[in-house]
Amino acid sequence: MAGRPEHEPEPGRAGAGSGQQARRLATPLGLRARVIMAFTMGALVLSALLAAVTYGLVGENLVRQREAVATDQAYLNARYLRDRLRSSGLQVASPLDSLETTGGGSPVLLREGVWFAPLGVGREDLPASLRDTVIGGEPARMRFPLDGQIQLAVGIPLPAVSSAYFEVTSFEELEGTLNSLGISLLAAALVTTIAGATLGASVSRRVLRPLSHVSAAAVAIAGGRLDTRVARIDDPDLGVLVTSFNEMAGALQERIERDARFASDVSHELRSPLTTMTASIQVMEGRRADMPPRAQAALDLLVADVARFSTLVEDLLEISRFDAGAARLDLDDVCISELVMHALAAASDAEVPLAIAADAVDAVVQADKRRLVRVIANLVGNAESHGGGATGVSVDRAGAGHVRIAVEDAGAGVDEEDRERIFDRFFRGAAAGSRGQGDGVGLGLALVHEHVALHGGRVWVEGRGDREGARFVVELPVSRQTASAPEPDPGPAAVPAVRS
Amino acid sequence: MGTRILSVEDDERIRTAVRMGLEDEGWTVDEAASGEAALEVFAERPTDVVLIDLMLPGMDGFAVCRAIRRASDVPILIVTARADTHDVVAGLEAGADDYVTKPFQPKELSARIRALLRRARPAAAGTSQLSFGDLEIVPDEGVVRRAGADIHLTKTEFRLLCELASVPGRVFSREQLLERVWGYDYFGDGRLVDVHVRRLRTKVEADPAAPRHVVTVRGLGYKLQA
Repeated sequence: MAGRPEHEPEPGRAGAGSGQQARRLATPLGLRARVIMAFTMGALVLSALLAAVTYGLVGENLVRQREAVATDQAYLNARYLRDRLRSSGLQVASPLDSLETTGGGSPVLLREGVWFAPLGVGREDLPASLRDTVIGGEPARMRFPLDGQIQLAVGIPLPAVSSAYFEVTSFEELEGTLNSLGISLLAAALVTTIAGATLGASVSRRVLRPLSHVSAAAVAIAGGRLDTRVARIDDPDLGVLVTSFNEMAGALQERIERDARFASDVSHELRSPLTTMTASIQVMEGRRADMPPRAQAALDLLVADVARFSTLVEDLLEISRFDAGAARLDLDDVCISELVMHALAAASDAEVPLAIAADAVDAVVQADKRRLVRVIANLVGNAESHGGGATGVSVDRAGAGHVRIAVEDAGAGVDEEDRERIFDRFFRGAAAGSRGQGDGVGLGLALVHEHVALHGGRVWVEGRGDREGARFVVELPVSRQTASAPEPDPGPAAVPAVRS
Repeated sequence: MGTRILSVEDDERIRTAVRMGLEDEGWTVDEAASGEAALEVFAERPTDVVLIDLMLPGMDGFAVCRAIRRASDVPILIVTARADTHDVVAGLEAGADDYVTKPFQPKELSARIRALLRRARPAAAGTSQLSFGDLEIVPDEGVVRRAGADIHLTKTEFRLLCELASVPGRVFSREQLLERVWGYDYFGDGRLVDVHVRRLRTKVEADPAAPRHVVTVRGLGYKLQA
């Protein structure tokens, strides 16, 4: 079913062109996302940099200290070894063995072309350049990788005993320290980054809050609540936005209200002459029999057009109140089937068949009776002017929460493309040319739409399947099913029914 | 003696057309172009119904309503520009019995006047006296007493009370009361009932804010109880 949705105000109709769309595609991220991202990236870069520098400095410092200690130890060991070799001659193994316990290094000794390496680390493991330098008579120190670990090799020539002493120290335990330092710094960087993101989110929310208020107010204004304003804020930068928005809203409201007031004033002023006219016409109608036929015919014209004029003035006044946002609902619990019955009887002289579904008989709607009666009258009137008269009216339920009132006619129907626009003011479709007696003035259906929307319902027109004609459907929300309707009028003789 | 209607309207053409229409009904029409003039005419001549346009220069229609209501319980019909404004309720609260909106059909106007002219038909005719606690109603004499003291009600208020008293304890919907008291069909304005019930309470209830006799039954209507 081609339901006709309510006329929602189209948000941002003014600037929603293709340009905006293109811009939206080019910058898919919103301001908030960008602010959060900037904060996150900033925090990430800063903390990573800080962590890296800290790691580098502390690491280097630790390595230096370790090197200094290892070098001192190597010199101590070398001196000890030299003394021992000098005193004990060729016995190499025992002084080397005794070196094991002092310091954490692995000793390697070159004595008269023979390499001694009691702890597995031997000649092949030492970097060649270091070996050459030391054998050449220069003490040297070098960091080098061995088995995937950084090692420090210290080489000291011992010319007095025609030897060279090397000591290889592992940084294993230092690496453990550095690892945990690295993990700590990484964790700190991560925490900082998360804190940055959180801060960014909070800042962006604070910054954007006035904007979201402005946006909500704009939507409200577009929806017809013209007196909506944004609460003042202290921030001098965003305050300007709020102030100018409120000024704009005020100017807009004033203008719309002035327009609506003008229409209202005009129709109001027309009421006085109309009152005189309707009263005078009735005086003339009372003397109709005394009039010559031509005067009678003229009176008939006058009667018809004063009635039409009255309707137009009433409709204009009504619609200007909608425009001014001054339309107020005078709500009451209304039994919908009863209302349709009475409204139909009053709206049409012809007998229009009314079908009320069993489950809709006691449906109660929170409604403004006067407005709903006008809705039925206008729909029936529309069927009479453009559809050859209403052929049937039905009331039934649409799900649990809604009731539908449908007015059918057997006229030419409404073209598919006109089914939305037919509810526009002064809309004249294909039927415009065929306006004969000139009943409607083109506001009836627009008012139907306004009244129904005010009740939170909707109205649409559809075809009648394979038959000719149109079906106008009004859907209203039901407030409750059970009619706690008062008992039918028992008349004076009825037994008093006492309710507690 | 024929029915005299006082028509208060500042627009001369409307006044004349309305007078002609009412005269066609066989009624005598006195005219006043302002509130002040209306009060003078009202003081001089016996009047059966007063028709007041609310929009008057100088003393407005509400003030005329109140002034007449202070002096008399004559039925007052107000003419308003709009049905859905506060004017209607304010006019009813100023003492009016019913209203019509411009531009009204003269037929509609005379139907309203006829409804107001109907004698306070005792709905509980034949019953000499009805008692609801400290409230006594004597329909045939048009007398209401609370705790023995006479209460002064307008014709419409009295008729409303009699309708509610016709079946004690029964709940009357606003539609039913509109039909029985004002002679409206389905399309009467429920605010007529509400305002009149409010006015009635200020007279018959010891504490109008906590009514004991004229009780609202939520979503249903009103009932009268002891």
